[in-house]
Amino acid sequence: MNRLRDLTLGARFALTGGREGWTRTLMTAIGVGLGVALLLATTALPGALSARDARDNARNDYGAGQETPAAADTMLIARTDTVFGGDDVRGRLVQPEGDRAPVPPGLSALPAPGTMVVSPELRDLLKSPGGKLLRERVPYKITGTIGDAGLLGPHELAYYAGSDSLKGHKTLSSNRIDIERIKTFPDKKPGEPIDPILALLIVIIFVVLLLPVAVFIAAAVRFGGDRRDKRLAALRLVGADSRMTRWIAAGEALAGSLLGLGLGTVFFLIARQYVGEVTIARLNVFPSDLNPSVALALLVGVAVPAAAVGVTLFALRGVVIEPLGVVRTSVPRPRRLWWRLLLPVVGLGLLIPMFDKGRDTGFYNQTQVIGGTVLLLIGVTALLPWLIETVVRRLGGGGVGWQLAVRRLQLNSGAAARLVNGIAVAVAGAIALQMLFSGIEGDYVKSSGEDTARAQLVVPMSSNLSKAEQERREENLKAVPGVTGTTTLGNVGLHTPNPDDQKYVEMAVGDCRALREVGELPSCKDGDVFVAAGGEFGGDGAAPGAKLLFESAWVGDRKGPETPYTVPRDARTVQARPDPLGTKRGGLLATPGAVRKFTKISVYYTTYVTTRPGDGTAADRVLNAAWRDDPFTRARALNDVKTATKFSGVRRGLYIGAAAVLMLIGTSLLVSMLEQLRERKRLLSSLVAFGTRRTTLSWSVLWQTAVPVTLGLTLASGVGLGLGAVLLRMVGRPIHIDWPSVAGMVGIGGAVVLLVTALSLPPLWRLMRPDGLRTE
Amino acid sequence: MTPAGSLLLAKDLRKSYGSTPALDGAEFSIHPGEVVAVMGPSGSGKSTLLHCLAGIVTPDSGSILYNGRELSSMKDAERSALRRSEFGFVFQFGQLVPELTCTENVALPLRLTGVRRKEAERTALSWMERLEVEDLGNKRPGEVSGGQGQRVAVARSLVTSPRVVFADEPTGALDSLNGERVMQLLTEAARSTNAAVVLVTHEARVAAYSDREVVVRDGKSRDMMLEHSV
Repeated sequence: MNRLRDLTLGARFALTGGREGWTRTLMTAIGVGLGVALLLATTALPGALSARDARDNARNDYGAGQETPAAADTMLIARTDTVFGGDDVRGRLVQPEGDRAPVPPGLSALPAPGTMVVSPELRDLLKSPGGKLLRERVPYKITGTIGDAGLLGPHELAYYAGSDSLKGHKTLSSNRIDIERIKTFPDKKPGEPIDPILALLIVIIFVVLLLPVAVFIAAAVRFGGDRRDKRLAALRLVGADSRMTRWIAAGEALAGSLLGLGLGTVFFLIARQYVGEVTIARLNVFPSDLNPSVALALLVGVAVPAAAVGVTLFALRGVVIEPLGVVRTSVPRPRRLWWRLLLPVVGLGLLIPMFDKGRDTGFYNQTQVIGGTVLLLIGVTALLPWLIETVVRRLGGGGVGWQLAVRRLQLNSGAAARLVNGIAVAVAGAIALQMLFSGIEGDYVKSSGEDTARAQLVVPMSSNLSKAEQERREENLKAVPGVTGTTTLGNVGLHTPNPDDQKYVEMAVGDCRALREVGELPSCKDGDVFVAAGGEFGGDGAAPGAKLLFESAWVGDRKGPETPYTVPRDARTVQARPDPLGTKRGGLLATPGAVRKFTKISVYYTTYVTTRPGDGTAADRVLNAAWRDDPFTRARALNDVKTATKFSGVRRGLYIGAAAVLMLIGTSLLVSMLEQLRERKRLLSSLVAFGTRRTTLSWSVLWQTAVPVTLGLTLASGVGLGLGAVLLRMVGRPIHIDWPSVAGMVGIGGAVVLLVTALSLPPLWRLMRPDGLRTE
Repeated sequence: MTPAGSLLLAKDLRKSYGSTPALDGAEFSIHPGEVVAVMGPSGSGKSTLLHCLAGIVTPDSGSILYNGRELSSMKDAERSALRRSEFGFVFQFGQLVPELTCTENVALPLRLTGVRRKEAERTALSWMERLEVEDLGNKRPGEVSGGQGQRVAVARSLVTSPRVVFADEPTGALDSLNGERVMQLLTEAARSTNAAVVLVTHEARVAAYSDREVVVRDGKSRDMMLEHSV
């Protein structure tokens, strides 16, 4: 009861303590509010991503039955996805087959032929001069906008265009796998369950991102601590005992944190309004997606004030508040190391039993993982004050700026440690995560095999194309500005004649230059045929003198007769070579002269295009040219790396979180530093009065930050590397340190501090004005 | 005393903070080795006068000549250099750097002028001896009494052998016994080095240590000695 009374009294002091009290409470509230806003955003993130997934599922048009007959409630839909300036553009051509055809989510009606409904972002892009090249590929008249329900996020580029020509393409001979007949938008096939290593990664990411926020909140409730201590001393003078003063202080922090909860909610709601404007790692969501889960929001609502009270009581345990002042101005007793070491040691103890689980069952006890990681990272915040104190005790010498900084750190290393704790924890966690990412990246990021040095784009031609038409289209591609060359390879299927043991044989058709893309040819002239050995497929029945049958070509909706073919006896055997797409085909390599007499066979042509290096828009011009010849073209740019979607999703989440945490910590640093400067306003003014140079004081501020930051980042690197090594052992991977990324993380941490120091210089100079000497 | 031969001479000083005038035509002069008390009630403008005379604040108008040089025509860096080398300061509170030891605090002005640390601290200790605080050398300001702290501040103001010491309510936070001791030590030490002392105070007891009194009221100054002689 007494404690409640003291807490209430403290809360009242916080709110009615005049301008001084209000300023302190407001600073605490702003600090806590920023942390709360980030916590709320984090709790809302899983919901936002699942809302996004739900919309993706609702508009899914993959997996519809191939044999659905045309009816009043069916629609033909063709996928015309493309890429513009590196951004994906989702495109669909739709043609209803009756008046009850399904309407995609986000649309009120299907667009008429020649018109389209577009996402707001695509509408803006197409209207802008920058979208001129894309307009050629998406020439339909805009008649409407896709609603939010039909989009993954507000920045998605998407359109639905009406068509009346899809039916003509929907024949068996057209081989148009991208045109489907649908009755409804089918559910997506359930994805594979997330694997244990990715689950571990997600857990670690949450710990690594949320822990600095917690550290930040703990620092925020101690804003203005020096002045508060003076107030508490005054309370001791009028009869409060030391226990009461601690609870009164806790009450002040409680009021600040409750106000912070309110402010945090306001910050979150404001930030939520603008979340649609932000795209991080190609991911953006609608404001309405960002809804924190009620249970987690309640947890934040309870945990933050409780933490504020706990942290204040803990922080005051070493402070003796006497009626005549606070006994902390003298040099404090040295910090003890043993219990600080205990935290990381226990953390390691929790994690070590899980070594190599990734190799065996893949099961990780999540509580143990969280506990171990938290203890290891909290160990940074426990060890850092000891480290700073131990090191700065031994520092001396140097100029006035250095001396002022070192003496300040010697007198109150705790404040410096608090300043750096958040960033140290964030950097330690980031280094560990980066190590884990690099260690398992090979499992999730694979080379696609595509060779972007040999070709930059691939343009598959539609089937049943005459040689003349193929050549015309290739000429069109060659004529595109920025194109430096084209290579076209034809592809014909054959098989062995025995129906009981039929073997598929692949034949590549092209001139000698084109065939060299798929085989190591010693010499070549038109009319030659080669047998490619060592291919991944299509080579089983290929041998000199072998009798084969060309696969039937389609004539309308029916297959034509099979044409016999005998591999020339003098065909030379050569080694197969991967084509620019990375496919190493076996079988036969034939020059045009060798197959000219076979006029009935169906050849599928693919043109590989090379463009001028550094020409940023050449790819889009090639895609436009391909589109002009075939609106359903699947032309695309080559990409030599393929990243597993889930892995890239996790990495994306990490980037978003890390950016938010760094911003938060930077803000925290700035607020703490400004607060320290404000507390020293009079001193700074008097120092300037007797002629201290501004640069001297600026250097002092810089050293005052740089020394603890250097120590903090060194400790963070050590703990981060240690945690990273432990995590790698847990997933059964060899320990490997990616030094450039460690340096990168440390560099980012250091840069945040430098930026904050730079931002605090103008207020510092302002505080050095003589106004600080005025007392009236 | 007439302004002739003044070390520091101010004429028709005007200074306002927003719409509030702090100085309204104030005059002031001081000679080497002289102690002049600037008196007046709270808010009368005496501290503003001291800040203007020391080049901390630039007046809106008027002239301040130090050793024949116009202060207002000097750049900020020049005025800072002047304060470092020729002026000394004692304030009522908040002046000692809490994280430095008393010796380091006293040595600070010398170090700012580029004197090496050991030499600066040796000179500082000799001044601390004169001010009777040599035994506080390794203590920090938070560990010494108010009177001791103020004597350390006086030692610091004199360590560069300034030509003018500006003291703004130097005993304002002290009891009468400590206050008188501080004033005694300050004026003795200043006179021994022929330094002029501009002493802002509202206490007659403190002003008694001066050679002359200037009263500031509503931003205007009156030299009491001139009036008496008239």
